Amino acid sequence: MNAPSPALVAPRPERLRLVGQRRQILAVMHQRLMFGMLVYAGVVAIIALRILWLAAFGDHAGRKEGLTALIPDRGDIVDRDGEPLARTIDAWTIAIHPTKVIGDKLALAQKLARLIPEHSADEYFAMLRSGKPFFYLRRRASPDLVEAVNALGEPGLAIQREPDRLYPQTTLAAHVLGFTDIDGHGAGGVERAFDKYLSDPSTRGQPLTLSISSKIQQALEHELGSAMQEFSAIGAAGVVMDVHTGEVLAMTSMPSLNPNTPGQAMPDQQFNRATLGVFELGSTFKPFTVAMAMDSGVIKSVGQVYNCPHELHVYGHVVHDTHPFGRACTVSEIMMESSNIGTAQIADQIGIQRQKAWLKKMGFLDKVEIELRERGRALNPGSRWGPFETMTIGFGQGIAVAPLQLAMGYATLFDNGVYHPPTILKRGPNNPLPAGRRVFSEDTSYKMRSLLRLVVMKGTGKKADAPGYRIGGKTGTAQKLINGHYSQTINITSFAGVFPMDDPRYVIVVMLDEPHATKDTYGFTTAGWNVAPVVSRTVSRIAPMLGVAPDLNREPNMGEVLPFVHETKE
Amino acid sequence: MSVRNFGSLFMVASCAGAALGCYLVSLRVASERASLEDVETKIVLAQRDVRTIQTEIGTRARLSQLERWNAKVLALSAPQADQFLKGSFELAKLTTPQHKVDFGAPVVLASAPAPATHHAPIGEAETDDAGAPVPVAARGMLHEASFKTDAGMREVPSKPAAPAPLAAVGFKSAENKPAAAAKPAPKKAVDKTGLAAAHPAKAVDKHVLASAKPVTKPIRLAKADPLAPLPDRHLSKSVSKTSKDQHTGR
Repeated sequence: MNAPSPALVAPRPERLRLVGQRRQILAVMHQRLMFGMLVYAGVVAIIALRILWLAAFGDHAGRKEGLTALIPDRGDIVDRDGEPLARTIDAWTIAIHPTKVIGDKLALAQKLARLIPEHSADEYFAMLRSGKPFFYLRRRASPDLVEAVNALGEPGLAIQREPDRLYPQTTLAAHVLGFTDIDGHGAGGVERAFDKYLSDPSTRGQPLTLSISSKIQQALEHELGSAMQEFSAIGAAGVVMDVHTGEVLAMTSMPSLNPNTPGQAMPDQQFNRATLGVFELGSTFKPFTVAMAMDSGVIKSVGQVYNCPHELHVYGHVVHDTHPFGRACTVSEIMMESSNIGTAQIADQIGIQRQKAWLKKMGFLDKVEIELRERGRALNPGSRWGPFETMTIGFGQGIAVAPLQLAMGYATLFDNGVYHPPTILKRGPNNPLPAGRRVFSEDTSYKMRSLLRLVVMKGTGKKADAPGYRIGGKTGTAQKLINGHYSQTINITSFAGVFPMDDPRYVIVVMLDEPHATKDTYGFTTAGWNVAPVVSRTVSRIAPMLGVAPDLNREPNMGEVLPFVHETKE
Repeated sequence: MSVRNFGSLFMVASCAGAALGCYLVSLRVASERASLEDVETKIVLAQRDVRTIQTEIGTRARLSQLERWNAKVLALSAPQADQFLKGSFELAKLTTPQHKVDFGAPVVLASAPAPATHHAPIGEAETDDAGAPVPVAARGMLHEASFKTDAGMREVPSKPAAPAPLAAVGFKSAENKPAAAAKPAPKKAVDKTGLAAAHPAKAVDKHVLASAKPVTKPIRLAKADPLAPLPDRHLSKSVSKTSKDQHTGR
């Protein structure tokens, strides 16, 4: 037989094609399978790696975020001893969603009126039928009320906790602290000035430490408040300042407000008389005039003699004195008896230019330097500043400054003549004492000590003395400018004091706006009768807290001034 | 079946075991961490509660409230300057120990015999051992006036009254015997003047007295110093008997 034809052995071409296709398909399938496996393995590997990663470094499901540290919703404000003055608490808020109320609206309105008697049942009913989605019924509700409202069982009532600003000391230092608006942002005082610090999550964990000392603030507010009541004054202001650092230890303005309920405060209560209000503070300005004159060489000795007639006719005006000398008097006597006539002559010798320069250096022509936003701009005669205005400014009329500015001026005068801007924050690493600028010479500062102590020992400020605390200071009774005219009967009385005078450490400035005479003051409305006792009482209370020990045997060097005081009255 | 065939199985098993072990460690760590976080959370919650309570207490005991309570109830006021002390010395001055008489304590008498002081001659100041003048007791400076007129009478300078038995003053007990020596004893005739001269019975120089009689009324004087303690009767007798000897010892 013939050899099998290759054609018989060889597969059929279609069959061959089939085998080739199969192989191809198989290869593709392998490829796909492999790809799928790789993908699967990759996913598994990713999951496994992820699990391993989480096991090693990851958080677990039960982790509670945000509770690892106690950061309040708004920073605390504390006083210099760490006593809280403002805090944010979780308060209960009761609100209502009228659209979600399912019960009897009239009955609910009556029950609400009984529980929350701020509105009548009619008003609540109108509220429920108004169709508006949401009403606040009570913010900062007491737990009892919350329980009672919850017991009503109405699903439309919303009871929830909201952060709320609380001022534990209520009215204490209200004008310093300010208050917050309904959104929790500062709307006055420190709350407004440091709003960013208090609301920034990175800083609000640390409380804001003020220079205020709540105990001193309380003593000042209490004594000033009782004087304001006693003399039926329309307002009052007080400042206690550290002479060396410029820290404001207490600052108050009256009538005060309760920052917990700022909405109820009248505009008069919201007005900060200590920093925003500017007043003509009268004779409390005289020490500056004398110090200027000493520094510029006009006064060479406190025994320098001026002619002090009963009234001084000058530049077409007449200057009067409350205790006219009617003779020649020394600078010591001018200060002691607060003579306008004497001081006017000293101011006249200083002259306009020098006076302006001094006042500028002391910051009496600008806004008061303090972190608060409520800052008043001092008023001065401006373009009308003539020789007579120089004289009146010399004894404190015709220039209006804030009580804080006056305190700052006294602090400058008795901190060896160096000006440090006042601050409301405690001095420390975050608020270091800036380098001051020299205004008066050390010698002048030293001489003024005995001069002001003399005023309290023998002069118009006798009632400001607190035995042992060596208070020195100056009374000021200024006529109030009403409708462009100086009133003869309505005064602003002030007292600026420094203690202890042998080594000045603290300044206290108190002011009463429109005090009235009482039986005890024998009809007088001058500063020596109404504000000076406030200083005496306040200093007796605060000086021991400030570490000033009373000593009946210490005095500044009175030998500097006493030889120049002519004593005939006693 | 050899061990070699199970090699891969062992490998897998050991791998699985190691992985399980690692996982267990990791689980343990995770649970520890979770419990730590629970504690941290509890701390924070406790801090929040503390803060809430502090705020509440601070609000209830706010300074204005304390001031009101003080005005109504306590009425505390600021301290006065003289209420402050400057140091421990001033504090110590406030507590001066009080002199306390303990009546129950045994009576210790000042019974030491008077030192044998040498009496200086009349008119001279007494001196002590060192020769310095001894201060004379005020009582010893007293002079009794004695007016004598008789010309033949011996000029008798009035002698200081006998010093009172100071050591025995105030004590009257029987134990007082040693002090008896200090009592005003009858004096020797030489020294007998003034007070002693009025004793008619014991006076040696009777004539002096007798001669004085017509001039002045008889001077009646107390036999003994009225201020001195009453002597025991027989004791005084014995004393009078031995007065001469005793006097030398004075």
